[in-house]
Amino acid sequence: MFKQMKNTLGSLMLIELLKGMAVTGRYFFARKITIQYPEERTPQSNRFRGLHALRRYPNGEERCIACKLCEAVCPAMAITIESEQRDDNTRRTTRYDIDLTKCIFCGLCEESCPVDSIVETRIFDYHGEQRGDLLYTKEMLLAVGDKHEKQIAADRAQDKNYR
Amino acid sequence: MLSAEAIEKIEYELTKYPKDQRQAAVMSALRIVQTERGWLSQESISDVAAYLGIPDIAALEVATFYNMYDTEPVGKYKITVCTNISCMLRDSDSIVHHLQEKLGIGFNQVSEDGQFCLKEGECMGACGGAPLMSVNNATMYEYLTPEKVDKILKELK
Amino acid sequence: MLKIEIDGKPVEVDHGTTIIDAADKLGVAIPRFCYHKKLSVAANCRMCLVEVEKFGKPLPACATPVAEGMKIFTRSKAAVQAQQSVMEFLLINHPLDCPICDQGGECDLQDVAVGYGASGSRYTEEKRVVFNKNIGPLISTDMTRCIQCTRCVRFLKEVGGMQELGMVGRGEHAEITAYVDQSVNSELSGNIIDLCPVGALTNKPFRYSARSWELVRRPSIAPHDSMGSHIEVHVKDDKVMRVLPREKESINECWLSDRDRYSYEGLNSPDRLKVPMIKHHGEWQETDWKTALEYAAGQIKDITTEHGSDALGALVSPNSTMEEGYLIKELVHGLGCGNVDYRLRQTDFRLDGKRVGTPWMGCNIDEIEKLDRILLIGSNIRNEHPLLAQRFRKAVDNGAELSIISPLDNNPLMDIAHKIIVTPNDIVNVLAQILKAMSKLQKLSLCLPPQLSELLEQIHVRPNTEAMAESLVGLGETVNLIAPKVGIFLGNMALSAPRFTEMYSLAEAIGGVSGAKGGILPAAANSTGMHLLGVMPASTGMHARAMLEVPRKAYLLLNIEPELDCQHAALARSAMEKADCVVALTAYKSKALDHATVLLPIAPFTETSGTFMSMEGRIQSFKAVVKPLGECRPAWKVLRVLANTLGLQGFDFESSEEVKLKIFDGEKPSDFARSRLNNNMKELVEIETKIKSPGLQRVGEVPQYEADPIVRRSEPLRKTKYNIKRLVRLHPDEMRAYDLVEGDMVLVTQDKGSTVLPVRPDAHVAPGCVRVAAAHEDTLGLGDLMGDISIEKITQEQADVFKSKQMEAQN
Repeated sequence: MFKQMKNTLGSLMLIELLKGMAVTGRYFFARKITIQYPEERTPQSNRFRGLHALRRYPNGEERCIACKLCEAVCPAMAITIESEQRDDNTRRTTRYDIDLTKCIFCGLCEESCPVDSIVETRIFDYHGEQRGDLLYTKEMLLAVGDKHEKQIAADRAQDKNYR
Repeated sequence: MLSAEAIEKIEYELTKYPKDQRQAAVMSALRIVQTERGWLSQESISDVAAYLGIPDIAALEVATFYNMYDTEPVGKYKITVCTNISCMLRDSDSIVHHLQEKLGIGFNQVSEDGQFCLKEGECMGACGGAPLMSVNNATMYEYLTPEKVDKILKELK
Repeated sequence: MLKIEIDGKPVEVDHGTTIIDAADKLGVAIPRFCYHKKLSVAANCRMCLVEVEKFGKPLPACATPVAEGMKIFTRSKAAVQAQQSVMEFLLINHPLDCPICDQGGECDLQDVAVGYGASGSRYTEEKRVVFNKNIGPLISTDMTRCIQCTRCVRFLKEVGGMQELGMVGRGEHAEITAYVDQSVNSELSGNIIDLCPVGALTNKPFRYSARSWELVRRPSIAPHDSMGSHIEVHVKDDKVMRVLPREKESINECWLSDRDRYSYEGLNSPDRLKVPMIKHHGEWQETDWKTALEYAAGQIKDITTEHGSDALGALVSPNSTMEEGYLIKELVHGLGCGNVDYRLRQTDFRLDGKRVGTPWMGCNIDEIEKLDRILLIGSNIRNEHPLLAQRFRKAVDNGAELSIISPLDNNPLMDIAHKIIVTPNDIVNVLAQILKAMSKLQKLSLCLPPQLSELLEQIHVRPNTEAMAESLVGLGETVNLIAPKVGIFLGNMALSAPRFTEMYSLAEAIGGVSGAKGGILPAAANSTGMHLLGVMPASTGMHARAMLEVPRKAYLLLNIEPELDCQHAALARSAMEKADCVVALTAYKSKALDHATVLLPIAPFTETSGTFMSMEGRIQSFKAVVKPLGECRPAWKVLRVLANTLGLQGFDFESSEEVKLKIFDGEKPSDFARSRLNNNMKELVEIETKIKSPGLQRVGEVPQYEADPIVRRSEPLRKTKYNIKRLVRLHPDEMRAYDLVEGDMVLVTQDKGSTVLPVRPDAHVAPGCVRVAAAHEDTLGLGDLMGDISIEKITQEQADVFKSKQMEAQN
């Protein structure tokens, strides 16, 4: 009996509504967190796993030695590598393709690379206009690496104690 | 080609082993040829191998295994100083130092006049006479002091 | 039998068994690097240390024979600790370059390190570096990776017969090397790649091209000699990447010859024919299968109707499968023609129709090593059957006495008890002498047929032949064997000799007198199978030689390059030139087939299914391991459709298995072979021993890396030392007689053809012989492999004139 009266009273006084309005009101006056993409960007972890890149050593030599561990570990079978002995007797790839339509950005390729050659960069907003555009070849991946090497190196340096 | 004397000596060594075991004489044969020619060149090793009828590489294996075979040219006198524990405790270091200074060469080098070569040796089993050295694998000099070394070098020259 | 216990499991083993063998028998895994079941025990890697009860220290399992009641612990604390310590030592100087190492993924060290290695290294000093050695075009070296197990050294010494590698230096400076920049020349050298437990010795042509886990392994049969070795073809993306042996104890054990291992490089040769081609007005034009087959069938039909079915001749490679052989035989017979033959390198066909069955090796391959006396006639065994030579070597190591009668004194890398080096024709005489000496020793002269007895009357036995005969009947220096196991084998040089018939008959008689096993060692993968199927002229047909001597109007070629694969290069060439129509089923387009009219691309052994019959009569089928290249089709399919196009009945096979079923007609293949293999002869042939050729006789062996079209195109094999430049080799005495010095140019003439080659003295050639290897562009002008030959010294200018004329003629 007493309980019923309390409920009726509560409904009449619109307490629930006021509670809800209070939340709305709090956020209405709070600082806005909407990001004006693409002018503004959210902060990213240095471990962000975006578009792949192939790195080079400071002397310009490509790092990749065609060990094919990334190809073997890739759960989506997105990587295709062909290798041969280069004229200077080193082991090099003749083909290094990543099919980004298959890639699930798990980061295992980067994890397995013994020479830190294949890495995932912070880039996430690449696009392709045709399906084939997302098949990245060795040249394209090296170009990505060359363009962003500074950032890539900085990210790895930040993380080196945990690797 | 092996000289007639060398062949005669090797033949004598061969009499110690069964006829179908000619390879058994490889150590003696290498020693004989080294004594005759001073050191064992690739050619000398091939000669020995050909004479005994074993593969060249088998003779090379033996020649490189034992450090008393010299596969690099050595001087007229090869001086081997023992640097193992007993000699070291009896100050073989100073003997080595003295020799190196006197001859102007380090270990495994040949003096400019082609007379001397210095080698670091292992225990020669005569620790009672430490420190000691041997010359041309044949003559051993015991109880060395720098003065004694000088004397020996003078005699050799 | 000894009762022992390993890790608590009881097992009974023979006396003298080592712990590692006992453990393997029980299925207990003991890690090992230097131990290999086929090699001597070195016990130098120490990885197999185990704990044995009542022994104070760990013992190497590979070198410790078991004793009664021994209790062995392979996983006890002490044993594992010992193994872990050894592992740590082994890894001290081993580079961490697994990612670029071709052995990665199939590496014993990697595997064992996962089980026994520590996660980090305590070693902080500098690692040692060993410089790589160049040991030839087949094996690449990374000697820093070597862990000094000496398996390679032991293999080359014990199985290869020649110690070409050794370990020089001592302790930390020890390294495996060949003698001063020499290469490893063994024809079995590739096996050291398989033996190497680390990546120190790897496959050079395969280098860096694929990882082991990417490769699909498919079983097949080696197609280059008649051993029928089991192979495993490693395939990636429909391309053959490498070939490895598949273990088969009774055939190839766990080895493989370099020829079978590296020939696959020829499969990817740019010479491969990918589409059917027709020659129009002297120009090759690509076309489709239908047109090509209809054109070929039309040509054959026209010629056979115009000139009679006899105007067709079919030459079949003995490397073709049984199915292909059967179909081409049926096709030719279906056209009413009997001219079909696979014996391309034979000159003497007098034995046709005189045999009881199909000639074969006469025993099993694994019986060779149990023989007491061996007689090899006209065989350069290491060149012809590289892996079989290893069995003979084992026999000799087991105490067998080897006798050789041959025109070439090549070193077989085993002890020879007796050898007689004579011209191919004189081999007959030597065999007659042996027969006489033996029948005298065995007191059996009465048992011989009168024909033979009369012949032997006139034979004078020489001391060296007598010694050989004594050896064959079992007399020895110290022990006389009462009933020795004797093996008598005729090799390739005997098979292609002009007096093969006499050699064969006498060898058979000798075999009869001495109770020997044996027979012929046929050259090609399916020689025995082809004979069994009767891919030979029918009663009215012509044999391979006659088909070339009396040129046919049309030829059907299966898998051959006539000038290179036939006995008489010059004859083959002119016959092809004269023919109106040459239909060639071939995997390669080459100069040798320039005179063809139609080229039909067929699939080599990796791209087709089929059956080979080995020298020991073993029938082995294999499947295609990759898809046919381009428009290539399996030859059995091509032959089937060609027969259909020709309007022949009975060619509606849907698969090669159906063809196989038809061949064996419901019988079990092994029964089929068993009832047909027989080396005996129905009747004796006339034997003339006194024939002396007036001049010189050619010894034209086929170098092993030129034996068939696939091998010929394998680049790495071509780079080996066995790819000899064509030279005229003469015994030094003959050099003097002809007033020649090394490097002189000589005009070599055989029949009407001739060629100019430099000369070199070679004491390994029998006097009276001229050794000019065959199957090469330089010797195309020459004739029979073992025929009469004449040489003439010419000046360099004359040689140049000759060569320019030759060039003109070719253009």
